[in-house]
Amino acid sequence: MTTHTETPEAAPIVELIGVTKDYPLGKLTVPALRGIDLAIARGDFIAIAGPSGSGKTTLLNLVGCVDVPTAGAVRIGGQTTGELKETQLTSLRLHKLGFIFQTFNLVGVLNVFQNIELPLLLQGGLSKTERERRVAEMIEKVDLTPQTRQRPNELSGGQRQRVAIARALVTRPAIVMADEPTANLDSGTGGAIIELMKEINRVDHTTFIFSTHDAHVMSHARRLVELVDGRIVSDRAPDRQAQPEGA
Amino acid sequence: MRGTGILFRMALRSLASHKVKSLIVGSIMLFGTALVVVGTALLDSVEAGMQQSITKSLSGDLQMYDSEAKDDLALFGGMAMGADDYGEVPDFARVQTVVEAVPGVEAVVPMGIGLATMSRGSELDRTLDALRQAARAGTIAGEQGQALVARLERLIDLLRTELINSRALLQDTTEVDAQIASIERARGDAFWAEFAADPVAALDFLDSKVAPAGGEGLLYYLRYLGTDLDQFARYFDRFRIVEGEPVPTGHRGLLINQRFADSQLKLKVARLLDDIHDAMTQNGARIATDPALTAKARQVASLYGAISLMLSPEDAHATETELRRALGITDGTLDTLLEALLTVDDANFAERYALFYDLIGPRITLYPYRVGDVVTLRAWTRRGYMKSVNVKVYGTFKFEGLERSELSGAANLVDLMTFRDLYGQMTAAQEEELRAIREEVGLEHVGRADAEAAFFGGDADSQVTGAEAFGTFDEMHPPTSDERSDERPSEAARRTITDETFTREQMLDGVVLNAAVILDRDAQGGTGDIEVARVRVQAAVDAAGLKLKVVDWRAASGIIGQFVLVVRGVLILAIGIIFIVALVIINNSMLMATLERVREIGTLRAIGAQRSFVQAMVMIETLVLGLLSGTAGAGLGAGIITWMGHVGLPATSDILVFLFSGPRLRPTFGASHLLIALVVILIVSLISTWYPARIATRVQPVEAMGDA
Ligand SMILES: Nc1ncnc2c1ncn2[C@@H]1O[C@H](COP(=O)(O)OP(=O)(O)OP(=O)(O)O)[C@@H](O)[C@H]1O
Ligand SMILES: [Mg+2]
Repeated sequence: MTTHTETPEAAPIVELIGVTKDYPLGKLTVPALRGIDLAIARGDFIAIAGPSGSGKTTLLNLVGCVDVPTAGAVRIGGQTTGELKETQLTSLRLHKLGFIFQTFNLVGVLNVFQNIELPLLLQGGLSKTERERRVAEMIEKVDLTPQTRQRPNELSGGQRQRVAIARALVTRPAIVMADEPTANLDSGTGGAIIELMKEINRVDHTTFIFSTHDAHVMSHARRLVELVDGRIVSDRAPDRQAQPEGA
Repeated sequence: MRGTGILFRMALRSLASHKVKSLIVGSIMLFGTALVVVGTALLDSVEAGMQQSITKSLSGDLQMYDSEAKDDLALFGGMAMGADDYGEVPDFARVQTVVEAVPGVEAVVPMGIGLATMSRGSELDRTLDALRQAARAGTIAGEQGQALVARLERLIDLLRTELINSRALLQDTTEVDAQIASIERARGDAFWAEFAADPVAALDFLDSKVAPAGGEGLLYYLRYLGTDLDQFARYFDRFRIVEGEPVPTGHRGLLINQRFADSQLKLKVARLLDDIHDAMTQNGARIATDPALTAKARQVASLYGAISLMLSPEDAHATETELRRALGITDGTLDTLLEALLTVDDANFAERYALFYDLIGPRITLYPYRVGDVVTLRAWTRRGYMKSVNVKVYGTFKFEGLERSELSGAANLVDLMTFRDLYGQMTAAQEEELRAIREEVGLEHVGRADAEAAFFGGDADSQVTGAEAFGTFDEMHPPTSDERSDERPSEAARRTITDETFTREQMLDGVVLNAAVILDRDAQGGTGDIEVARVRVQAAVDAAGLKLKVVDWRAASGIIGQFVLVVRGVLILAIGIIFIVALVIINNSMLMATLERVREIGTLRAIGAQRSFVQAMVMIETLVLGLLSGTAGAGLGAGIITWMGHVGLPATSDILVFLFSGPRLRPTFGASHLLIALVVILIVSLISTWYPARIATRVQPVEAMGDA
């Protein structure tokens, strides 16, 4: 298989080797991924596409270290996740990874500033001023400065997703996972979110891995991986023209 | 822990956004804390009050008694009604020397408790006594003297009727016949001529031949505490003389407990009226609605006959006139007037009560003794024979603040020498003499306990008639008629008291049953200090080889001392139950809150929060709530106690007067009460959140995914 990378000499930041994931369902097991081999280069901007139930979320969860594979190995920056203890996995999520959820998942009792500050507080180590500077900078970047002190329920969907992006990026993670980041947004807002992600990818070289159903969103990716029934069926550069969804 | 600041912020925000849950859990915690503060503060105040009542009236801080005693010391009365065996302390002087040398000990006061009957002769005896005094003063011919003579004639007539009635029931009538013959002589004109000529000789005749037939008069049971009366007055702060004077140093004497007198000795009709009066004025009870008062009121009305008998003819006349005017009744006899007076209801009670004490009270004997009287105390000594001692009533006393408490009437006071006489401590010569007498009459040794069981029977009422009491004595010790007249010496001899005074050394050198240890005033702090002193005193008596048991006031007082322990147990149980309920409720609502927050917790885990963070988040939330509502609850509790301390809790029953150490409890609280309550509520918070917190830590990061 081929990899699309701007710095071909560097080792891949994410590697999936013969990964399968089965979910137990009563006495049955549901195979969600069946033998995935995938390498993702640092700074890539990659879309995972595929029909519903094809295993996109499962794949992102494995890369995002919120789950471990049934068989095979997931390597993040050279570390095999299955070999890490729970606390180490958590620490990996905190320091190396960022998560943008389809449903935003902001902490309702905290305002915009506090939500974005939260991962920095969990990390510790920064002085209060440095931390506040970083948060403010992040808020500026996602263009939410007027909403700094508002609670999530006082924001629009696009604003919430921008808070989620800011929260995922504030720790300057190496990899950001986004599971259908635009699915709950209208197409205009969704486009703006993708633009924002692209901008950050371009400036900070943050690796983005996102899933989507939306052909327009796919067209922004540098690399498009298509899943069907837990298998990779295609791995290519997306068409630059927006196309109707589906295979 | 990283992010402690955010944890508190999240806790507060979370509490604010789950208002109903926070309110329910918070109010449970608030009331729980308030309950702990109020409960413990009240209990400590009651304990302090009780300590006052007990230590400043009878026990002192510590008590010492025979380490081989069969029964536990019970100063306020035990199970056996005076038959308790506390062993004895043979050499008090030595004990005092040893224990007063212990640092922190201020004084050691000797004591001995016993039960005796008290009698003051019959109405006939007392009339003869008064006439003898009148004869000595030469006032027999005067108005008062003639009134006494009139009463004497009436009493002799009554006695005659009584004897003739009883004669019909007897098989052997020789004794009664002789008595009746004497009475017939006393009723003859010749006798009264003799009386006018030589009253003293006539009185001697009546004293020796007629009065014995009249019996002993009324007998009363009396629990007494023999002690060093000077020391007692000095170290027992609650002690106050009510009437009369303290027994002079070195003299024998009896001080009657005013509470005991009012509740046991006082004339029944007056006692009932007092009861009704107290219930109405202090507790706001009403005769019409309170069944106990209704019964008492009915009983009062039935007792008019007892009063008319006690009135002298001229008093009877005056009373009749005055009653007619006061009640506005023109016809009827004195008895019907008295019955009308004593027929009380809610409307007329106050007026009738006042009339009784204004018109009747001064003319009858409300108490069977008067200050200055000489009474006869009789008790079974521990060797099983009966001992009588004549002793002067110097006065009555009370324990201040405890006037209304039945328990404060637990003991009357006598000097230590009288106690020893009644206890039966004898010199070697006396013992030898007694042994000789015993052999002569073939009297078997009677165990003290058996004797008292027979003596006191099962009847708890203090008052017995002379005839009944002597009937019981006769079974124990069937007297020949010679012995009987020996036992009942002439009136003059019976009323003789020893003029002998005693020195302090004589008083201290001898047997006592127990001793109170008074600690230095500044050392008398909490229970801890007293326990330290107790251990020290115990060590000192052990080292000196004295076979003594040293107990604190609580243990020495008997069942009443355990009261606070029992109440404390009940309170702890109640608080425990309330907190278990609180625990379940807090646990449930926290669990529900946790389950509602699974996605949020999953999100936190997914973005890199460790399990420990999640656990802390849930726990801190409850802790913050516990701290806030606990502080508010402690404040509320402190407020309630302050308010109670301000208005005072009325002691609505006798036992409460004792427990409160006065008519009202004014509770106070200390920092410790607030602190204990806060600590308790925080512990409860932590325990109740343990399980929800555990559930929260089990939430997986993937649970952040999925639909909102
Ligand atoms: N927790 C689970 N328990 C059991 N089966 C699961 C679980 N999660 C996913 N699956 C199954 O695994 C397969 C892959 O699911 P996954 O959520 O990865 O698909 P997806 O591509 O993200 O679909 P969608 O586009 O609908 O989000 C599906 O068949 C699904 O039913
Ligand atoms: Mg999915």
